[in-house]
Amino acid sequence: MKLLTRSTYYFFIFSIQTMIAAGAIFYYTFRTIVYKQIDDSLIIEKTIIQEQIDESDSIPDFAASYGHLIRVRLLGTPVLYSQTINDTTLFDVPSSVYLPFRHLRFTNNTHGKSGYIINIYQVLDENKKLLNMVAFGMVLLFLSLLLVSLFVNYLMSKKLWRPFFEAVNGAANFNVLSDKFPELQETNINEFKQLNLVIEQMTRKMRADYINLKEYNENSSHEIQTPLAVIRSKLDILMQKRNLGRKSIDLIKSINEATTKLFKLNQGLLMISRIENLQFPDTKEISFEELIQKWLDNYEEIMQLKRIKVETEISNAALVNMNETLADVMISNLLSNAVRYNIDNGYIRCRLDNQCLTITNSGMPLEIDPELVFNRFSKGTSNPHSVGLGLSIVKKIIDHYNMKISYTCTDSVHEIKVFYKS
Amino acid sequence: MKLLIVEDEKALSRSIGEYLKMEGHICEFAQNYHEAFIKTADNTYNCIILDIGLPDGNGLDIIRELKKSKSNDRILILSAKTSLEDKLTGLKIGADDYLTKPFHMSELSARVNSICRRDNFVGFNEVTFNEIMVRTDEHQAFANDQLLNLTRKEYDLLLFFMANRDRIVTKESIVEHLWGDNVILTDSFDFVYTHVKNLRKKLLANNCGNYIKVIYGFGYKFCES
Repeated sequence: MKLLTRSTYYFFIFSIQTMIAAGAIFYYTFRTIVYKQIDDSLIIEKTIIQEQIDESDSIPDFAASYGHLIRVRLLGTPVLYSQTINDTTLFDVPSSVYLPFRHLRFTNNTHGKSGYIINIYQVLDENKKLLNMVAFGMVLLFLSLLLVSLFVNYLMSKKLWRPFFEAVNGAANFNVLSDKFPELQETNINEFKQLNLVIEQMTRKMRADYINLKEYNENSSHEIQTPLAVIRSKLDILMQKRNLGRKSIDLIKSINEATTKLFKLNQGLLMISRIENLQFPDTKEISFEELIQKWLDNYEEIMQLKRIKVETEISNAALVNMNETLADVMISNLLSNAVRYNIDNGYIRCRLDNQCLTITNSGMPLEIDPELVFNRFSKGTSNPHSVGLGLSIVKKIIDHYNMKISYTCTDSVHEIKVFYKS
Repeated sequence: MKLLIVEDEKALSRSIGEYLKMEGHICEFAQNYHEAFIKTADNTYNCIILDIGLPDGNGLDIIRELKKSKSNDRILILSAKTSLEDKLTGLKIGADDYLTKPFHMSELSARVNSICRRDNFVGFNEVTFNEIMVRTDEHQAFANDQLLNLTRKEYDLLLFFMANRDRIVTKESIVEHLWGDNVILTDSFDFVYTHVKNLRKKLLANNCGNYIKVIYGFGYKFCES
């Protein structure tokens, strides 16, 4: 949930509760006042009637009274009920509906021989209407107040929090590969000032660290090449010695294997860092078809030996604008993987259309999560000679050109798709 | 052949010299730009093996100087950088080939031989070993004047062996030479074995000696039987 939504939500809940409470209190207070007024007028009427009965032992002329409806019952014997005031309804003949009334009942016994039960009614219709109108007006007022304050609160929070959101956005969009730093909004709120400062320092530090690391990687990779060349040349010379024993030969052999692996590893890492450093700027129109043909030809004998069947299916393939070396590395890596991890009597199918290059090949079931095949040093086989960089180099190239690649493996069928036209 | 090895890493240039001397080349050494500049100005060489990353200058400038003085010296660039731009620049300004460190001595030897053959003297396009003769301009190999029916890879393999005669050639250097360094070695050893077997069979069928010797643990040696 967004902070703004949450704060608005809390504000809404709080204010609606307050308003309901305030509204209820107001309504009942107002109602009490109105009833009190009515009841007072009924009691005044009662006093007048009582006085009149006391004076003349007769019921006054009720038409002249306050517009109250008065009903009197005369009884032969005295009665004594306590006085009650309540709400009731009476049937109104002209409009043939029941109308609400306030009702006062009291008894009066004159001279001990007869008793009156007197009911005084005050129609509540008008008062009820007033009460309702007031209530309605109040609700309306409260609602509009709520809406306005919600809106104001929303706007204010939005404005208040803007530097924060911009800082977060800036930090999220920051890419350590580019030297574009997030542009942070000037603010005079201390907390946000601090946040901006931290983000700025952090991104600059990240960028500096990244550049350092990159240079270190590249330099070390380059510097390793020469000692490796020395080791390899010495081994080549050493092998030429005439009277080497079996033990020495085995030693030299394993040194040689390790050196080769180190060399391949270094070469692969160097390649990756050079792609990351954008050191392949030149592009030209590349035909994948030609490259596929070239590399299939190169691996032809190997495939023959493993009795791998090759099928190519190429239909209106598009030319791709990319760097020649990278295109070559990409296709050769993909195809050499398809050959290398294939099985005897297996197959390789290359399908190339104007959008997608699909390479399907038979092989052993994958030992690792298919999601991980593009990661560095994640090897799908236990082949000790594989350094596990081939597909991560391919992935780097794909990313470099904003292409898409997918890998699926069902049982023993491996399929790689390169969507080269996005 | 007379070769100049320009390489600041002494250990490496000594190995190169030692290996190439086995083939009968005469090797001279230069350890920096200055020495290389003087030597190339005073002498002519069949091939200059040139590391372009020298401590006191760029090897590419030596190529430029040589070309300015219309020298016919052949040049093989060595570089620790795999960068294509260096390679293209080097080849554009007149180098004959390019090799990235680290390399196999057998590969270097094959490249040097191939470069030296480019000089247009009669017979330079022919490589012979006893009754075997390879015409590199036509990509054909003959045994006792009979054309050998070799596949492209078998032909490359034969030439590679002949460039490294009397020296041990490892299986992995053969793999790299034939297929590039993109192929994983263990798998490919079988292919090397098959190719060597086929080549030997074809040579024997054409009454050649059994020159390809298996060397335990390492690979092969092409030498007098």
